[in-house]
Amino acid sequence: MKNRNLPRLAGGVMVAGMLLPTTSSYAADAEQIIRDNCLLCHSEENASAPQFSRMSHQRKTPEGWLMTIARMQLMHGLKITDEERRTLVKYFADRQGLAPEETAGSRYAMERRLNTMESFESADFEQMCARCHSGARVALQRRPAQEWEKLVHFHLGQWPSLEYQAMARDRDWFDIALEKMVPELTSSYPLQSSAWESWKAAPKADLAGRWSFSGQLPGKGDLHGTMTVVAKQGDRYEVSVDGQYADGSPIKGSGRAIVYTGYEWRADLTIDGVKVRQVFAASKSGQQLTGRMFEAVHDEVGADIVAVREGSAPMLLDVQPEYIRAGSRAQLTLVGTGLGEQVSLGDGLQVVKELYRDDNKVVVEVMADAGASEGARQVSAGSANGASVNVFSSIDQVKVVPEFAVGRVGGNGGSTPKYNAQFQAEAWANGPDGKAGTEDDWRIGFVPASWHVEPFDERAKADRDTEFAGVMDARTGKFTTGAAGPNPERKMSTNNAGNLKVVAAVKEGSETLTADGQLIVTVQRWNNPPLP
Amino acid sequence: MNNKNKLRCLAKRSFSMLGFSAALVGAAVSYSASAAAQGPALKAGQEYMVVASYPNQLHVIDAEKDSLYKSCDMPGRFGPGAIQVAPDHKTAYVLNNGYEDIYGVNMDTCEVTFHAKMSQASNERTKTLYAFALSYDGKELYTVQNPTILRSDHYEVQPTRLAVYDTSAGLKAKPIRTFPSPRLVTAMQVGKDGGLYMAGADIYKMDVHTGEYEVAVPSRNWQRERYVQPDVLNVWAVQTPTEDFTILYTTARFQEGSEDLNTADWLYGYFNINLATGETTTQDFAPITEIYFTGTRSPKDSNIMYGVLNRLAKYDIEKQELLGVAELDHSYYCITPNNDGSKVYLAGTYNHVAVYDADTLAHLKTITLPGGDMSTTTAQVFIR
Ligand code: HEC
Ligand code: HEC
Repeated sequence: MKNRNLPRLAGGVMVAGMLLPTTSSYAADAEQIIRDNCLLCHSEENASAPQFSRMSHQRKTPEGWLMTIARMQLMHGLKITDEERRTLVKYFADRQGLAPEETAGSRYAMERRLNTMESFESADFEQMCARCHSGARVALQRRPAQEWEKLVHFHLGQWPSLEYQAMARDRDWFDIALEKMVPELTSSYPLQSSAWESWKAAPKADLAGRWSFSGQLPGKGDLHGTMTVVAKQGDRYEVSVDGQYADGSPIKGSGRAIVYTGYEWRADLTIDGVKVRQVFAASKSGQQLTGRMFEAVHDEVGADIVAVREGSAPMLLDVQPEYIRAGSRAQLTLVGTGLGEQVSLGDGLQVVKELYRDDNKVVVEVMADAGASEGARQVSAGSANGASVNVFSSIDQVKVVPEFAVGRVGGNGGSTPKYNAQFQAEAWANGPDGKAGTEDDWRIGFVPASWHVEPFDERAKADRDTEFAGVMDARTGKFTTGAAGPNPERKMSTNNAGNLKVVAAVKEGSETLTADGQLIVTVQRWNNPPLP
Repeated sequence: MNNKNKLRCLAKRSFSMLGFSAALVGAAVSYSASAAAQGPALKAGQEYMVVASYPNQLHVIDAEKDSLYKSCDMPGRFGPGAIQVAPDHKTAYVLNNGYEDIYGVNMDTCEVTFHAKMSQASNERTKTLYAFALSYDGKELYTVQNPTILRSDHYEVQPTRLAVYDTSAGLKAKPIRTFPSPRLVTAMQVGKDGGLYMAGADIYKMDVHTGEYEVAVPSRNWQRERYVQPDVLNVWAVQTPTEDFTILYTTARFQEGSEDLNTADWLYGYFNINLATGETTTQDFAPITEIYFTGTRSPKDSNIMYGVLNRLAKYDIEKQELLGVAELDHSYYCITPNNDGSKVYLAGTYNHVAVYDADTLAHLKTITLPGGDMSTTTAQVFIR
């Protein structure tokens, strides 16, 4: 089994307040802050441009820089203000960031998708370097050999018990780290890369304008709307959001954003009274944003978002919902920008009526022929295309997504909030062969289900985990974990941990299709670093 | 490869409960050696047990009445509180102060008579991961030290070293000899012949005068037909009445002609070195059904093995058969028999020392220590 859940361990601080007040000529400011504060321990190197020991020889994400500088404060007693730290994070992320290609595949860590199952080709890498924290934390850095080597020394020097732990004491951890991992890391994640050289030289887009976005929030459903972005000084923006969920409830709010490295969009907004954060990547052209918007306190609650800038080439982002049943009549919402008059839905689907239209959104009533063939249809509205709708005749199977999740107890007067879990029911068709579990099965989309939990095994049954570990919302699939701390009602006064089977039931005609997943409810994680 | 993975998983669960990392964050040393005498001197011929606990005390328990006899305040910061008792049974040596210092405490007077800082330079941070032992005559103290040089903007992990101290060197003891040591050493004990047994990747035996060492009991490198590499975690060097140095391992044994872990037997076993004779043993004793942090054999019947973590279990080694279990109120890390083998003491992690009848596994008593938990202290029983 290569797949693992992201461990929730390790030290650090939150990305809290990464937003900067306006500063001009911040490079000079940053270098002054470095000279005044860092050179107590670090040294300035002989070079034409300002260059400093350690810090000038690494590249990483804004979160990566924040973690390093926060460590200087927490472990080494560096004293700087929050504002100085923000200036430094911006300075380092801009000058020594990662190119868009270099973050692709690891963005889930920045997007705080903590239930991601990671898997890496190198078994050595997984066992040596992705055991305590995510592998993405490593994959989101670039260093020369000396700097990877110093990182190994830092790890073992800081945590001498590391080499005695399971998965370390069965091997010569330190020798392998130096002799095998350092060369492997240096070749996989080198300081110099052509991607970075060309991104550094590329023009960076101003992200001001109006954006049409679409997304999906597990437990709540499809959403879409517009985001208005006004440029301020120094890659900062004011942002307001106006949209709605599929059920018609509004999404309204505003806040501020900053862009690092020319494309790393980070926004802190308050939407409908809840603090949320956006972690998006702008496309190289600056015409699209992709990423996740999540609650600041409960980052397990979050929506995948795509956005396209108004006035860019016509584009269809999404069709909501993503499916229609053959022989039925339904409303479909097309979201994008530059949506043209001519709506085309493909074979067997007819627009009965157009219910709403603006440049970014078209709502149509659609009839699907009873005999329409199963499968995806490319959809277009004028020259805007890029999204599809799935035509199905019956739901044959259901899957629980995620199949495996970790929740954590919390609250109860403690400093750590609960980490709840959210499940979705995914409908599938069996495909032409009519058999489940074969190559030609195809995904229809997320469907409503009714939810409950059961003990995962005999042990969980004996310990009555379902009574203590938390409560499942039958309608939304949201599991709210139990309170933190020992529970005198449990055997040995243990905490409210549990091992649960998560069951979804979907009505299909007269039948009920069920599927299950697993939820481990465990203890809090005591610190919550910006990168898991 | 596969086989090892499964083993690691199993062992990992047990280790995570130790929470070393949390306890290992460095801090400054500050102490005064002038601790006043607290409580009466120990009585000759009387049996005692000693443990350490938060906030930072050494507790001596009367092992006849099974009640607290006295507590001594210790200098520095508590942790981990691992203990070795000197052969004259007067001084307890405690690894403390965040794994960075070893103190000798006179149990009669509570006076600190010995102190060695593991660090040998001002820019060196040095920890000992439970690896210390006294010579057979008590004149020397051996430690394996893990030094890191703290440069101003980077760290340099140094090779591990064996440092030898003269136990009469007082409060500013410096090593009288040092030698390179293998990494990963935890529990250590000294044999009657003077050889130092060091549990690391394998169990080594070192000549403490020349620093030369050889494998005394192969562990990682054992050659046992059909067995996978064992997993060993032992940080409790319990000094037993029978002078046995016992370390548990877990392993898997394939079925004949198979390399399939799904059908393999998962086994507990122990390595043993008899310190008086030098005799070594590698012996399976049970299928793995639960985790034990420590195990010890009965002083009156060497075919009986006790293991403890979430339950106290008793095995017939030869028959590899479970003879009995006692359900516990919480986990205990460290098990120690008394001298005549009639009782076993459970200690570690909470502030409870639980006493069980060694034959029936009946619960006899729980002694509640003043102060906090015992962390990974080593419970040692001795007759003064
Ligand atoms: C009090 C001493 C001290 C100060 C002040 C200090 N550092 Fe460090 N720095 C260290 C030490 C020690 C290390 C090596 C151990 C480590 O990585 O934490 C280090 C390592 C680093 C590294 C390498 C980290 C890695 O992951 O390899 C960077 C980058 C860095 N410092 C940046 C800074 C910056 C920027 C400042 C000023 C804002 C600063 N440091 C101030 C002591 C200091
Ligand atoms: C025993 C657990 C453990 C293992 C094993 C481990 N790490 Fe880490 N690592 C940590 C912790 C804890 C931190 C957080 C340090 C901090 O608070 O900044 C960290 C931080 C890091 C960082 C961020 C440092 C920075 O400031 O930029 C990188 C990169 C990293 N580790 C890479 C690695 C690599 C490469 C390996 C394998 C050779 C590895 N880790 C193995 C625990 C571990």
